[in-house]
Amino acid sequence: MTVELAALERWIRGFAALIGENTALLTRLDSAIGDADHGANMDRGMTAVVAALDREPPASAAGLLKQVGMTLVSTVGGASGPLYGTFFLRMATASGEVTSLDGPAFAKALRAGLEGVVARGKAEAGDKTMYDALAPAVDELDSALAAGVPLGDALGRAAEAADRGRDATVPMLARKGRASYLGERSVGHQDPGATSSALLVGAAAAAVGPSAAAP
Amino acid sequence: MTDRQPPGPGGETVGLVVVSHSRALARAAVALAGEMLHGRPVRIEVAAGLDETTFGTDAGRILEAVTAADRGSGVVVLMDLGSAVLSAELALELLDDAARERVLLCPAPLVEGLVVAAVAAAGGAGRDEVAAEAGGALAGKISHLGVPAPAPPADDPGPGGPDAVFTVTNPHGLHARPAARVVQAVRMLDARVTLRNRTTGSAWVPASSLSKVATLGVLCGHEVEVRVGGAQAREALDHLLALAARDFDEGPAPAVERPAAAPAGRPLPASPGVGIGPAWSVPATPVEVPVAPPADDPAVEWRRLKEAIATVRRAVQRIRAGAVREVGEPAAAIFDAHLLLLDDADLLADVRALVDGGRSAAAAWSATLGRVGAELGALSDPYMAARAADVAAVGDQVLRALLGVTRGDPSPTGVLVTGDLTPAEAADLDRERVTAVVQAFGSPSAHSAILLRARGIPAVVGAGAEVLGVADGTLLAVDGGRGEVVVDPSARVQEAFRERAADLARRAADALAHASSPAVTRDGVEVAVGANVGSADDARAAAAAGADLAGLVRTEFLFLGRDAAPDVDEQEAVYRGIADALHGRRITLRTLDVGGDKPLGYLPTAPEANPFLGVRGIRLSLARPQLLADQLLAVVRVAHDVPVDLMFPMVGTLDELLAARALLDDAVTLAGRGAPAGLRVGIMVEVPAAALKARAFAPHVDFFSVGTNDLTQYALAAERGNDAVAAVADPFDPGLLQLVGAVCRAGRPVAVCGELAADERATALLVGLGVRELSVAPRAVPGVKQAVRALDGREAAATAAAALDAPTAAAVRLLLEAEPSRGGR
Repeated sequence: MTVELAALERWIRGFAALIGENTALLTRLDSAIGDADHGANMDRGMTAVVAALDREPPASAAGLLKQVGMTLVSTVGGASGPLYGTFFLRMATASGEVTSLDGPAFAKALRAGLEGVVARGKAEAGDKTMYDALAPAVDELDSALAAGVPLGDALGRAAEAADRGRDATVPMLARKGRASYLGERSVGHQDPGATSSALLVGAAAAAVGPSAAAP
Repeated sequence: MTDRQPPGPGGETVGLVVVSHSRALARAAVALAGEMLHGRPVRIEVAAGLDETTFGTDAGRILEAVTAADRGSGVVVLMDLGSAVLSAELALELLDDAARERVLLCPAPLVEGLVVAAVAAAGGAGRDEVAAEAGGALAGKISHLGVPAPAPPADDPGPGGPDAVFTVTNPHGLHARPAARVVQAVRMLDARVTLRNRTTGSAWVPASSLSKVATLGVLCGHEVEVRVGGAQAREALDHLLALAARDFDEGPAPAVERPAAAPAGRPLPASPGVGIGPAWSVPATPVEVPVAPPADDPAVEWRRLKEAIATVRRAVQRIRAGAVREVGEPAAAIFDAHLLLLDDADLLADVRALVDGGRSAAAAWSATLGRVGAELGALSDPYMAARAADVAAVGDQVLRALLGVTRGDPSPTGVLVTGDLTPAEAADLDRERVTAVVQAFGSPSAHSAILLRARGIPAVVGAGAEVLGVADGTLLAVDGGRGEVVVDPSARVQEAFRERAADLARRAADALAHASSPAVTRDGVEVAVGANVGSADDARAAAAAGADLAGLVRTEFLFLGRDAAPDVDEQEAVYRGIADALHGRRITLRTLDVGGDKPLGYLPTAPEANPFLGVRGIRLSLARPQLLADQLLAVVRVAHDVPVDLMFPMVGTLDELLAARALLDDAVTLAGRGAPAGLRVGIMVEVPAAALKARAFAPHVDFFSVGTNDLTQYALAAERGNDAVAAVADPFDPGLLQLVGAVCRAGRPVAVCGELAADERATALLVGLGVRELSVAPRAVPGVKQAVRALDGREAAATAAAALDAPTAAAVRLLLEAEPSRGGR
């Protein structure tokens, strides 16, 4: 099973839709431990991404992912801009000028994106950041694919891992970003970055999984 | 965006870029800076806000701004906070390599930094100078307000130029060990010393704080500014500059082995050997600090913390002593950085403030160490960032001591799979049970890898994060010499690895089988091959390796890492334990050999500018005779029952030996059983003058034992740990050999117990000079015995005689290459 360019685009548009639906939630989470702009920032960025996709339909996986990354770094505004931007730019580099990615190639691109997030934000597991949702998802995807699980189901399992990772940020003490200024007061709140990251993985499962499995 | 400021004529000034969340703020800051320029052209570009009113930063605009500001002579970027920094870093990544080289991200505060940077740029300053000026921009404000800023506290020197500048040329910059040397040097003197990284324009930090010095992020080639004050300001400055001139005494090992950044999934060989076994992981879970720990009275919490720190300090000292035995002083010095951290007044003051504010000791310690670790971890040099792991390890040790949590079993049976080992963990692994180590991260030049190699534990590093996902119990095959890890190997692969392991084991077994028989040259000269031991465990290893005796028992291990000296009974029991482990073979006990470089808490010594030429060895023992008297009494008691050689370290004059012998006579009298029949008395020959006076010493000793490490260092006036002169300190130098020859002509048995004894190239030389006992690390015993067996004594004597006349160490080596008895090997 492969991820066609169309499925990648469905993923991004699906993510934008999920962000739009959850803007208030993300902002509410961020108001507890940050500067209350994560929802608005991500919505602004993803709205711009969708507009760019409408304006200039990309011709390759790398083209699409690069367009998404560059749009995000210029429109999000907060730290999520360079972080998500780096994620997609590294994915683009790892994907190459192709129009479809097989399961391992897609997983490899996600891994490259995750490594970009680590390089940019210097976050580690348990720092209460988007890494805590993304990393277990990418790990789960790798191991499911290695075990022979079809890509669609593997992404479903990755999405579940991301959700678990997101939920696990609640008791964590924030060690990065503005939430870290709160110290122990950050404990007991779900991390907004991990929340939007779980949406990102969920969108991938929805875009690639059921619909790509049919043909 | 490209807001304002015309390009300068010719464009030769450094360009500036202002990155801010707010466009209005950035414009106002530029206008403020512009007032200082009086029309002198400086190119200042702004990348701020998503639009006129929306806060945010944009990597794309930063990229444009940097490109516009770049006229070829460099760009300095000033940022406000948070995403401004991340976006600026991303923008740099998007630049091509040549352009990126010209850009420097400056950590200065935005407004103050911009004003100062603009003035400096207009004055024609270069990029690094502009950044440095900007970095110091807070000094004026701090001085004016008279209150210490939170980061560079009371030690901040205020405005004014530095007293001196030095350039760091250590390959890894001012990382933990050289930083520790700086801190040690400064703390010995009554002076206030502050440093800052001129190249990056860092804040000033007190040189007495390891955590602060390390956060300067000084890399190779960076310039560091020094300011001094206080009674011994001059001495402190001289000392520091001298230290810098000799690269902070950094030993050769880490300096020559650059840490290779391991690409994910491609393991690097770190310690040779083959190991197969089930994977086990030590959960790297941080110690849980209770969310709302009940905080007692601050005084009580503070006392708890001090006790926990004392406990950990003892543990680190114990591990350090073990590391000295196994890998030698230079590599073990990393633990000095750990000890300094436990003793860091700056860090403790931060913790104290939190405790006084009502936090529990655990919460206060955890928060402070977390911050320091994050500061180190954020530094761009991987070697420096790796030191964050050391901080975390030491911090966790204290937390465990505070909370009474145990680490669990650190040495499972099988292949240890871990993220990164700390040096303490590497030194503490049970090599009987750990068949190999697989690290997801790490580098072959890390201290932990050095320790694993020295301890003979096969290891690969940089295997990638995915190895951490290997389930416990999964079979792993590891070849540490080739850098191979196979997860769940097929039967065929297992077989191949087992064959490699069996081959290595066969060779080791062969050597061991021969090891227990005496080492005799082809023409019948018997050479005793003993082992250097520092504990009963070492003694057991020595016996197993076929050592003919313990040629050097370093008794220091009994004295280090504790609050009071061991009494006579305890010493007696330990010495007997070592003799038992060796099944009655002769043991050579060296009396306590410490000095100002490794002070004992209960044996205070005055600070010395040069402890290696100060009160150490026998000098210290004679200055504190009760300590020596106790040790001698314990030795005499043991010597009544087992054969014991007793030797005194660092003897330089006959008077020293006679004074020590008088104390020995007192001990014999006190023991009350007459002179022990099996007791022989000798001296270590480490001082060149003692070697040349060997005939004068001969009537008063039964034997000599040459410590080639110190003898080389003193004879050639070159410290082995000092890169710059390490090549001079060559034990093959004919001058050193002449000293050994002089000892051999004094008519007493001569042993050699330095590293030279374990160098199989030197065996012919030493035996040829007349040495009849070699004492080496237990693991080296079988190999050295084989080297002796390959020799012909008469040929070796001829070679040695020629070596004494050789002009250089290189010439000696050439002679040895041609040594006929080596032909058959």
